Amino acid sequence: MTLTHAKANTVYNVLAVAGAGNTRRRLLDMGFTPACKLFVAATAPTGGTVLVRLRGFSVALREDAASLIELTAERQ
Amino acid sequence: MNYTVSLVGNPNVGKTSLYNRITKSCEHVGNWHGVTVERIGKKVTIEGDTLFVTDLPGLYSLSVCSPEEGIARDEILKKSSDLVINVCEVGNLSRNLYLTLQLLELGVPVVLAVNMMDELYKRGQKLDCAKLEKALGVPVVPVSAKYKGDEKELLRVCLQKLRNPVAAYVRLPYTDKLPIARVAAAMEDKAKKAGWDARWAAIKLLENDSFVCETLMPDERERNVLSALGDMQARVAQVRYEYIDTIADGLILPDPAAKRRKRKHSDNGFALSGLDKIVLNKYLAFPVFLLVMAAVFFITFGIAGNFFTWLLELGIDKLLYAPLVGWLTKIGCPAWIIGLVGDGIVHGVGGIFVFLPQVVLLFFFLALLEDSGYISRVAFMTDGFFRKIGLCGRSAFTLLMGFGCSATAVLTARGLDDEVMRRKTVLLTPFMSCSARLPVYAAIASAFFAQGKPFLIFGMYVLGAAVAIGLAALFEKCVKPLKSGKLSFIMEMPPYRFPTFERVWQIIRHNAKVFIVRVGTVIFALNVIVWMLANFSLTTGYTAGNGGKSILETLGMLIAPVFKPLGFGNWKAVSALLSGLVAKEAVISSVESMGGVSAIFTGAHPALSALAFMAFTLLYVPCVATLGAIKKELGAKWMLFGLIMQLFTAYAVSLIVYTVGLAICAGKGIVVGVGIVALIALMCTVALLRTKKKKGCAHCLRNCNGCAKTKKEEHAG
Repeated sequence: MTLTHAKANTVYNVLAVAGAGNTRRRLLDMGFTPACKLFVAATAPTGGTVLVRLRGFSVALREDAASLIELTAERQ
Repeated sequence: MNYTVSLVGNPNVGKTSLYNRITKSCEHVGNWHGVTVERIGKKVTIEGDTLFVTDLPGLYSLSVCSPEEGIARDEILKKSSDLVINVCEVGNLSRNLYLTLQLLELGVPVVLAVNMMDELYKRGQKLDCAKLEKALGVPVVPVSAKYKGDEKELLRVCLQKLRNPVAAYVRLPYTDKLPIARVAAAMEDKAKKAGWDARWAAIKLLENDSFVCETLMPDERERNVLSALGDMQARVAQVRYEYIDTIADGLILPDPAAKRRKRKHSDNGFALSGLDKIVLNKYLAFPVFLLVMAAVFFITFGIAGNFFTWLLELGIDKLLYAPLVGWLTKIGCPAWIIGLVGDGIVHGVGGIFVFLPQVVLLFFFLALLEDSGYISRVAFMTDGFFRKIGLCGRSAFTLLMGFGCSATAVLTARGLDDEVMRRKTVLLTPFMSCSARLPVYAAIASAFFAQGKPFLIFGMYVLGAAVAIGLAALFEKCVKPLKSGKLSFIMEMPPYRFPTFERVWQIIRHNAKVFIVRVGTVIFALNVIVWMLANFSLTTGYTAGNGGKSILETLGMLIAPVFKPLGFGNWKAVSALLSGLVAKEAVISSVESMGGVSAIFTGAHPALSALAFMAFTLLYVPCVATLGAIKKELGAKWMLFGLIMQLFTAYAVSLIVYTVGLAICAGKGIVVGVGIVALIALMCTVALLRTKKKKGCAHCLRNCNGCAKTKKEEHAG
């Protein structure tokens, strides 16, 4: 599943980042690398943008960037 | 010896704060990403050595996405600095070290400055600097740029490294996991030609870095070597982060000496802070935002600002104007000199000077919004709305900065990745009411609308923002070169931070100084010129008392009829607007020196003319400096487009304000009548547009989806 379908207040693991070009470049450089833990913190009140936390910082992503990020559920 | 040192690091790690500390400067800082968009530099002398310190825009990686990052990347790749101070943020060390690794791959001499140590200490933790030094092979200096003092130790370490340049080879074990040798062998000659190390160029090619790919232009064979390796872009990022994870493990430890312990996290350590839970809450976000903005405006224009301005006004009138004019009259000065000094200078320049407290307060609150990190929350929560009009949350920064100064705000748009979005943001920023326009509203509003003054001023700000949003929507729909469509948006959100007293004092002092210098130079000179032109005639000399036509009156009369439909078609208002092209404050200082607000807005509905004048001042060309900034960012063609758009919008909106106002004054019946006619006209236009669209589709006059399909089918057939 992708980040667009992720539930808020849940921890996931990054599986892969799809796509090409600048968006993928930025996501990889920011640390969306395989097996990295990711927490979905909030969705914007106006919709379409999601706030995630990883590696100790927060980042806001629009749907198109979020749809590139493949996730798997964090094993308890 | 002379050395060059540059500050490099991720966005928002405090590079400029550190730069200000080292060079004792006052460059703009803020708690958001992309404050610095240009390289700035200054010389400092320490122990007989001269350091030329350069501050660069922040970047996440040497593979960049936006133009301001490109500036930093180019500087780093040139290797023009003798030393790179890599600034990192201790709370976000993993991601910061990603850039550090890239600097080490490049082989530039690095000193690592780990900033924001104060935040770590407050949490009762400490950093194992020795371990980090050993892992990276570079000196590590903990600093807190927010407070004074640490920069001395940093400079000492830097000087030591500069004076004893040892070509320290840093082994980066993760590079063994990448097929560098194969690519490096294939690309060696080309990399040498470009002046790069072949191994470094190989890593960049594996990463599919667009800049390096474009420079080296791999040919068919070389591309085959690369594509045979598969998707290495993710792999490179992954091995770097894996290595970082191994060195970052156990780097931050609880400090046994700390008095206060970190509060225990009940959950996974990921959860939002309590404040963010409220600020970003689905239902509370907008009420909180409105409350914050309302508080800012009411303090600035209502309670505090008004009081100080009133005090200054009284002081200037009673302590300066009255005694000065009295004394000049007593000693028998010529009437024109008394006029120039009294009306032209004291009233005109003083008329602006009284707004010092309000302007400083406004900048103070803007700085507070920036420094706290709230601005980024606003960008996040409004992004959905901005997306619909082809902008993004990041544009909100630039637009909000526009409340301070349009010219500098326009430059901050450089942080936007997409060119169309940047163009649009630059064109719309001038509509945000800058601090120079504030005195115009305040002076006119207190003359005509004393009761509702704060509401009216707030209304002007809202009108400016509404026009900008409306135009953005219009551009997105109708103007092709300004249509940005769906764009990606990735924005880091900084933690909340609170400015120190030193910083608060600095903001106040700096903005007060800038304002006083501006009023004392540009506004002063402009006012003397305007007063002279308004009170002298080429034929009869000083016009006061002899009824001659002044130079400005003759010129103003030529343009004045254009503004008749707006309710202020007189030469004084027109000249005030003309002088406002240089600096918008001059609009009101000219008005003051030409006899005050009441002398200009006359006729049946003076208050209404004044209102239309305010709307025009809000929306027409901000100032020459802003036009210059737009030209610098977008070129002459777009500047001209902006200029025409501003004049047209200002005229149209003022016309609407004045006409609607007149209708309301004339009576209820007319308002309802006009309303019905307008509604019918609107319905007719919509209906017409709809039928036209349908027609277009059937005859294939427009490029709608249906036609594209039929065309394709025809081609296939």
